[in-house]
Parts: sequence; C-alpha cells; structure tokens
Amino acid sequence: MNFDLGYMIEIFPRIIEYLPIVLYMGTLSFILAVVIGLVFAVIINFKVPVLYQILLIIISYFRGVPTLIQIFIFYFGLPQLFPSLSSLEAITAVIFALSVKNAAYLSEVFRSAFLAVDKGQFEACDAVNMTKWQGLRTVILPQVLRVAIPSSGNYYIMMIKETSLAFTIGVVDMLARAKLESAVTYKFLEAYLTVGLIYWAITVILSFLQSKLENYVERPYRKEATK
Amino acid sequence: MIKIQNLHKSYGNTAILKGIDVEIKEGEVLAIIGPSGSGKSTFLRCLNFLEKAEKGIIQIDGEEVNLENFHKSQAVKLRGKTGMVFQNYNLFKNKTALHNVSEPLRLTKKISKKQAELIASDMLAEVGLKGKEFNYPVALSGGQQQRVGIARALALNPYVILFDEPTSSLDPELVEEVLNVMKAVIKQGRTMIVVTHEMEFAKDVADRVIFMADGHIVEEGTPKELFENPQNERTKRFLKNYLSLHNFGGVGI
Ligand SMILES: Nc1ncnc2c1ncn2[C@@H]1O[C@H](COP(=O)(O)OP(=O)(O)OP(=O)(O)O)[C@@H](O)[C@H]1O
Ligand SMILES: [Mg+2]
Repeated sequence: MNFDLGYMIEIFPRIIEYLPIVLYMGTLSFILAVVIGLVFAVIINFKVPVLYQILLIIISYFRGVPTLIQIFIFYFGLPQLFPSLSSLEAITAVIFALSVKNAAYLSEVFRSAFLAVDKGQFEACDAVNMTKWQGLRTVILPQVLRVAIPSSGNYYIMMIKETSLAFTIGVVDMLARAKLESAVTYKFLEAYLTVGLIYWAITVILSFLQSKLENYVERPYRKEATK
Repeated sequence: MIKIQNLHKSYGNTAILKGIDVEIKEGEVLAIIGPSGSGKSTFLRCLNFLEKAEKGIIQIDGEEVNLENFHKSQAVKLRGKTGMVFQNYNLFKNKTALHNVSEPLRLTKKISKKQAELIASDMLAEVGLKGKEFNYPVALSGGQQQRVGIARALALNPYVILFDEPTSSLDPELVEEVLNVMKAVIKQGRTMIVVTHEMEFAKDVADRVIFMADGHIVEEGTPKELFENPQNERTKRFLKNYLSLHNFGGVGI
C-alpha cells in the first residue's frame, strides 16, 4: 500500500489556486454559448433563409467533432489560414471552441423550451394588447427559462469539466498544475485524485445551486405554493 | 356602436366566415350560438385580431379598420377596444391572480405598478376573489381562473368584452359562479358578445341571439323569438338536438 494522504493535503492549496481559471473558462464559455445559442435558436425558429441552412451544417459539425479536436483546430489550425490569429491565446481558443460547440446544443434546448410554451399564453398577451416585446419579457421568457434551466445547468457543469482539456494546449489549470507536481514526486495517484475530487466538489456545489434555482423558478407552478 | 360588414375569413382554401354582417349597440349583450365548427370562435378572434380576416370592415366605438388595407397601429387601437375571455382561461401561468390583472394594465395603460395593483385588487374583489390575490393559476379552480380572466378583461375597461364559451371547460358545479359574475358584469351595462352553449343563460341575459352555421349568420332575433319561434329549418334542428341532448338526458337520440 503506497498512498500519501499528507502529500494530497500539501499540494491541495497549490492546485486549487488554479480553480479561478477553470471557473473563468467554464463560465465565460457558458455565457457565450447561451448568447450564441439564443441567436441560433431564433434563426432556426424563423428559418431565416440562407443563414438557416448554413447554421444546420454548422450545428451538425460542432455536434460531431470531439471537443479536443476542435480545440486543436482552433488553436493550431486557424493561424495557418489567418496569420493574424497566430497570437491567439490558448485560453481564448478553448473558450471559443467550448462556446460554439455548446451553443449548438443549447440552441436546441432553447428552441424546444420555446415551443413548450402554450400557444394560449401568446394569445393572452396579444389579447390584452401587450407589444410582442412586453409579452416576451413578462410572460413568455420566464416560462421558457423554467423549461430551459435544468438542461442548461447540466451543460454548464459539463463545460466546467471540459475546460480540463485546456491543459493539452498549454493552459495552466488545475490539471496542468497537478501534472507538474507529480512529475517531480511520481505521486500521480495523489495529484490527479486531488484534481478529480475538486472537480467533483464543484459539480456537487453547482448541482445544489441548480436545484435551488429550479425550485425558485418552479414556484408559480406548484399547487401548494401559495403565500 | 359596433358595426361589422361583410367579414370574410378562410384558412388556406377553406372559407370559414363567409360574409358576416352584425351591428351591436352600446350596452347590448349579444349571444352567438351554433354547431361546432360553424366559425363562432373564429369570428370573435377576428374581432380582436388574434386572427386576421381577409376582407370586411370592423368598426368599434369610432375606430374603423378595413381589413383589405389598414395600418398595424389601427389594429392595435381596435384591439384596445376589445377584451377577450378565453374558453380555457389562458391566465399567465407565471403570474399571480393579482399580476394577471395588474400587469396588462401597467404595461398597456402606462400606469404605475402600485396603482395597477390597486385597481386589480378591486377587480378581483368584484369577481369574488378577495383573498386569492397571491394565488398562482395552478392554485385556483377552473371557475376561479375564469373569474380572474374576466377581471383581467374588465380591468382594461374595453368597449366590448368577447367571451368564447367561458364556461365550457368547467366542471358543471363551477359553471354557476362564472355565469353569476357575467350577469353582474352585464348589470354594469357593458357591451358583450358571448359565444355560448348555455342556452338558458343566453335566454336569460342576452338582448339578442345570433344563430351561426357554416360561416353564415342564419338567423337572429331576441331570445324569445329565436328560442321559442325559430324560423329557419337549421335553427329548429339545432335547438331540437340541443334540447333532446340536454333536457331529456339523451332520450331523443
Ligand atoms: N388555425 C386553423 N387552421 C385551420 N382551420 C382552422 C383553424 N382554426 C379553426 N379552423 C377551422 O375553422 C372552422 C371553424 O372553427 P371555429 O373554432 O371558429 O368553430 P366554432 O364555431 O367555434 O366551434 P366550437 O363550437 O367547436 O368551438 C372549423 O372547421 C375549424 O376546423
Ligand atoms: Mg369555438
């Protein structure tokens, strides 16, 4: 039996120091993915000519290509076509790859959430003479969010974990740090397990927050929820 | 006054409304009856532009729209003259009873949130829902939801309120409470168009009844004329069917 718990405790602070960069990459990618995903959803929903057809191909592509390969394509490949991108930072390439890829998935989440809203809700907004935007803002979007939050939240958690691919192109994150530490001590199990446990903890915390948020948006739809 | 001339509406190649002409005086209660699929809902929906009719002129309280040539702002103005009460209520599911009534007010009449809520809470009291202000639609019975629907329409103070079978989604024991609220609204002298299968109600409260079939107005008259002495064959058949179904427990089928 060869397991050094003390070593794990010792390197823990040096590894968790890189948690912010992980959260930064994951969160920024997620926000961009939501924005791009919404734009995609609108284009698909209204079948905007030309853009729609192009988008279907783009979505199919990003769904089909493994994330790691996409990161490589952006980071190593694109500068070959556009020399101006040669200074593309590794972190930017990761955020770029993660956000476009997940936007492709999220667009479908948003679109079906939108379709899940009862037609009568739109009619009621019209009937009381709200403008389209007023109706969207006060009635429709809150109901879209309700449906979209559970799966969007899962994508967010998944994206946080996928940022660990960033170390392959030289971003120093928790995983890269653990690799460096263990290269000296050969205590691979302890180092990688530390990173794994941190990711696990993040996932547990985020899942907890997500269920809180879901509970909050579900409030109007629960029978007993009467103040 | 409301004046509808030669209203035509089709879905694709199927003509649904084939030239409807009606006039309704201020304060009048018009009931529309007729078989399923005759275009009653479509007619109401064309009046407040949930559907766009292709042809005809709609005039409500001085606002006129010629459907073949009009500006969107005209449609918005005309819609503002109407309130709609839906068969399946269509309350905003993410809003409390109070906000179902106050939010449209705040947004479309440009009054403060606070004032809108005051008006809304008065309206809810008027339809017998004091104490239910903070219930969301899921926590209201069908009859209560429909009463919120009526309060929502009333609060906007439209020239005419359109009711599309307001009680036909309700459990029988809840119909009465909604009809009573409607009767109270009629007492205020509101102009109303009510599509209904509640013949007793139409008989009681309508000033005039229209029998619609196949996209046409087949017959119209006072409740007494239409129910007791129908002239048209189709009206007679429809009323006979209705009576055999409802009053004699299906014996006549
Ligand atoms: N969106 C639509 N697209 C195509 N056809 C429609 C649409 N809405 C209604 N119709 C058709 O128009 C006709 C009239 O429908 P409408 O709902 O106005 O009837 P109704 O008199 O209200 O019937 P009911 O008593 O069953 O409510 C029906 O034949 C219906 O199938
Ligand atoms: Mg109908």
